[in-house]
Amino acid sequence: MTDAAPPLPGYVRTKLVDPFEIFVGPVFETGAPGARHFIFRVDERHVNMRGVLHGGMLMTYADLTLGAAVWDVTDYAPSVTLNMHTQFLKPCRAGGIVEVTPVLTRRTRALVFMRGEFTVAGEVIFTAESVWKLLGQD
Amino acid sequence: MPEGAVNVSIGGFNRFVGPLFRMPETPGDEARRFSFVATDKHMNSAGTVHGGMLMAFVDVAMSQTARAVSGAKSCSTVSLNCDFVGPGRLGDMIEARVRVTRRARTMVFMSAELASGDRTLLVATGLWKVPVES
Repeated sequence: MTDAAPPLPGYVRTKLVDPFEIFVGPVFETGAPGARHFIFRVDERHVNMRGVLHGGMLMTYADLTLGAAVWDVTDYAPSVTLNMHTQFLKPCRAGGIVEVTPVLTRRTRALVFMRGEFTVAGEVIFTAESVWKLLGQD
Repeated sequence: MPEGAVNVSIGGFNRFVGPLFRMPETPGDEARRFSFVATDKHMNSAGTVHGGMLMAFVDVAMSQTARAVSGAKSCSTVSLNCDFVGPGRLGDMIEARVRVTRRARTMVFMSAELASGDRTLLVATGLWKVPVES
């Protein structure tokens, strides 16, 4: 899947470094750091035996995109996910394009609070909120 | 894998990220147990198991449990909350222990813990919807 083209015009491939993200990707983006909009196209690898996008893939995509947004606001400071809360609102099938613009809820010295509404064809299918810890910061 | 472990990742995304196993039941232990071994594809660049894989695994374990206790052929994750307590390492055998808090007519409330040996990696609570057989 490393040679896949962007599913929509105007997007570039998101640079992924984690082996698990490269394995499930690719992911594409547009916009400047701090306001990046991400998309990925659901394919046969990402669905369950009923043909529905797997929650594990959505949560991985949430960790990836909200984590990228954390990097944007912390100038790539090392951080880890402390918590993620997710809600699954609507199923999605192969061929769907899942979009998100992560939103910064709050940043403190040691913590970053992020959230995202994930849409397919303009409808919200999934939401995620995550808390990140900046390593070495009290 | 120990004798009696059953591969539950027979298709789709589960197979793609697996193999994932259901462990044999232990007499006197109400928790349902599942496991997988962390390999190269599951890692992040910091050398620990990717949080997405841990959430995918706990989602599979809790979904399997919701189906088992309800007898439903399918079920849907409604909400899942995960705390990342500690890092998983390459080669770890990661075990999920899932407990049912309440089984209602259309909903199953569960909690789960992922551990490698005596190290806790993740704790989760979640809510699943199961179809009513008509």
